[in-house]
Amino acid sequence: MAINRRQFIKRGAGAVSVGLVMPRFWMGSLAQGQEIAATNRRIFVVIQLGGGSDGLNTVIPFTDSRYASLRPTLAFKEAELKDAQGNSTILGSDPFGLNPAMSEMKALYDSGKAAIVLGVGYPNQNLSHFFATDIWSTGNTTGAGNGWLGRYADQKLLGQSGLSAVNIGGSLPKAFFADKVVVPSISNFASYTFQTDGRFGGDRNNQVNTFNATNHRVFPVSSFSQAIAQAGLEAVDGAAQLQAAVASYNSTVHYPVATDNPAPSQQVIQFAAALKMVAQIVTTIPEANLLYVQLGGFDHHSQEIGTNQDNFTNKLVGAHANLLRAVSLGIKLFYDDMEAHGLADNVIMMSWTEFGRRPNENASHGTDHGTVTPMFVVGNPVIGGRLYGEQPSLSDLDSAGNLKFKVDFRSVYGEIIDKWLGGDSQSVLGARYDSVGFLG
Amino acid sequence: MASLSFEEGAHLLRRAGFGGTPQEIDDLASRGREGAVDFLINYNQIDNSALENLLSASFNLTGDGITNGEIRRWWFTRMVNTRRQFEEKLTLFWHNHFATSSSKVQDTFMFNQNVLLRQLALDRFDNLLLKVSQDPAMLIWLDSITNILGKANENFARELQELFTMGINDVVTGEQNYTEQDVKEVARAFTGWNYRRQTPFPFQLNATQHDNGFKSIYAGTPWAQTGNLSGEDVITIICGRPATARYLTWKLFNFFVYPITNSATDKATIDRFAKVYLNNNHSIKELVRAIFTSDEFFSERAFFSLVKQPTEYIVGSIRMLGGTYNQGTNQRGSNTLSTSSRNMGQDLFAPPDVAGWDFNLGWVSTATMLERFNFANTYLTNRNTTNPGVFVTTDQLKSITKASSKKTVKRFLSRLGPLNAGDSIGILRSYLETGDNGQPVTFVNDDATVDKKVRGLVHQIMCLPEYQLN
Repeated sequence: MAINRRQFIKRGAGAVSVGLVMPRFWMGSLAQGQEIAATNRRIFVVIQLGGGSDGLNTVIPFTDSRYASLRPTLAFKEAELKDAQGNSTILGSDPFGLNPAMSEMKALYDSGKAAIVLGVGYPNQNLSHFFATDIWSTGNTTGAGNGWLGRYADQKLLGQSGLSAVNIGGSLPKAFFADKVVVPSISNFASYTFQTDGRFGGDRNNQVNTFNATNHRVFPVSSFSQAIAQAGLEAVDGAAQLQAAVASYNSTVHYPVATDNPAPSQQVIQFAAALKMVAQIVTTIPEANLLYVQLGGFDHHSQEIGTNQDNFTNKLVGAHANLLRAVSLGIKLFYDDMEAHGLADNVIMMSWTEFGRRPNENASHGTDHGTVTPMFVVGNPVIGGRLYGEQPSLSDLDSAGNLKFKVDFRSVYGEIIDKWLGGDSQSVLGARYDSVGFLG
Repeated sequence: MASLSFEEGAHLLRRAGFGGTPQEIDDLASRGREGAVDFLINYNQIDNSALENLLSASFNLTGDGITNGEIRRWWFTRMVNTRRQFEEKLTLFWHNHFATSSSKVQDTFMFNQNVLLRQLALDRFDNLLLKVSQDPAMLIWLDSITNILGKANENFARELQELFTMGINDVVTGEQNYTEQDVKEVARAFTGWNYRRQTPFPFQLNATQHDNGFKSIYAGTPWAQTGNLSGEDVITIICGRPATARYLTWKLFNFFVYPITNSATDKATIDRFAKVYLNNNHSIKELVRAIFTSDEFFSERAFFSLVKQPTEYIVGSIRMLGGTYNQGTNQRGSNTLSTSSRNMGQDLFAPPDVAGWDFNLGWVSTATMLERFNFANTYLTNRNTTNPGVFVTTDQLKSITKASSKKTVKRFLSRLGPLNAGDSIGILRSYLETGDNGQPVTFVNDDATVDKKVRGLVHQIMCLPEYQLN
């Protein structure tokens, strides 16, 4: 929550805007349908799971008797760790299993493409959604200041050509708050365009020409009107280029849509659509390397499992499973899409959530706010198929009954900054944290 | 009594409200400067029953009816349809000033706070501040309800001084207004502030959680006080400090008049108007009256010196052009206006943080500009006059259209400002006189041309940099 923070958000500082990171040349250098040369590209996709996802029911310590006793109705038994096809979701010889809704993630793990970091948190974890989100977004425990990706962008992406960073969604996540770079938020391509009267398509050229002419007039130097005209021209021009670029996207991967039979859940459709947009951007715009998607709804204080039909007892279906299925499937489809475009060696995905949930279930088939959470890091560059970090003991909880963290989340950020993004974690995070090892 | 020109009347109505039709502006202008300001400020005397009837027919804001989308739809409906324009605009000012967000506060409390802001918008500042501070939305937002004896939470104490009253430094003298020790002491004065968990959720002081010890604030200054100070005492003390008068004046100028600089002239201006507050028993009404009737407000520097807020862009476009907002019914109808406003960067009931929105260039980015242009296109090309949404009829546009292209362009530029965009007239005329294949055509004001080219013309005017200003 931003309530202790008053720094102004530099949404539109000066005339810095999407347009300034969107050059005109890239359409010229890229023939329709041509794959973008993959050499040296370092694409990073951040996946925010909003609301505080239940880590203990995601990476499940099924052999721990404390887990079963703390969660009389929510705990998965070993026999229940099987996906819809009946395949085990137990992680090799480790005493953990993935939630059975995550069969695709299990496959990625088994093939060495997915790493799991256990026990992630930070000192004195905050149980407020907003504060905790701010802390994870800024990378400091006051939750104040710019976002960690924003600071990285200010250091590394400023002045870089290309649409280098994009948030998929309506509003900019705090992780992207920056002093200089302004990251565009695009919720759908259809609306990120200069619209004109659909009834009179023949008049569109006149409309666009008129817009360009009126906004190309001379305005007083450093005036609001000058900054507005620049932003407007860049927007209309840039939007046209973005439209043209993403229009050249095609893929063999089918992302779920509402008309599929059987109809996928809303969460699956929504998350897949966001990742499809990421795919459309990174496969058609060579400078687009920092992407952000979000999926909310993880705040399962009640009815975390099951449905009305089973009186909220069936652990294989229900609210949390729906969301985890969306995450697992979406990540796999996006991975496949990157592979099909020859970019699988160039992409890392990282999921995070602002906190895990209380080990002891509540009386409503749900869990209250907790602390520690596992993180998933996925992609060919990742040394996957193994667990990192350390699972905190369920016999040694803090005074609120929550897990004690083992790995600072900034260790995960730092490793990605230093070893993948070519940045300097010391200057982005204000300190250097022990690396976790998933990037070697 | 100073006279009021049409341009000045339009400026006053755009700033104190959202703008209006030529008839509304003429009416204001005929009252003269003081009379027009009196009319706008004494809004309680303006019959607003049409709006109230509309609201009761289209909304059920009780119990579960109070949702995120509903309260936004409700406020936009008010802004578009009210005859008391200054009431809504000043409520928006206070919403930004006491920036509270639905990201942490339940919609019911956000709604109740908005009603409270409207009720007390012109009251003594002391009373407005006290009532807002004791209202559940603020008690929750800045953690007063967990600010208890022995475990003080400084959140409210800090923002009270930094954002709601004085600022860290005096905006005129630059002197530091309070210390970290003052934050701690003030926090103790507010311990135990809470509300009863029962409709209508009244304020209550939990006596056992209140710190009755001595607090010492503003030591070494003329406002030093020591004693068993209550939260009410602290608010009274702060509201009497010149720093509060100056900070409030500074915020009102930045919102309603022009961006204040650090120049000696501007500091003198702020100090002069701050005295109106101090000499009139902290009356908000007298302060805003002085500001709106001032030569500063009507100076050349003030005209079009601010970037339109998204709400001003949206609501003004409807009110100035004579458009229509069909707000839908309580069947959860359209939220197009609040969605557009949010996408332009102003999500009502959800300012970005306790400091409120970042004005002027804070509204400007490529994404937000596209949202403005596309809202304009949607508004001008929506020909469905029955569904919820925003539209303007061809008849309405035709009533403004003149026989010649030049007069038509000038008429719409006047109607939507009046805008000083003289050097765009040629470009806009040429638009009216160009056919689909780029060939010259003769402009005629028949229905077909109005439906195609005049709709396009107004869209273009709403995309002018000049139209983004207020």
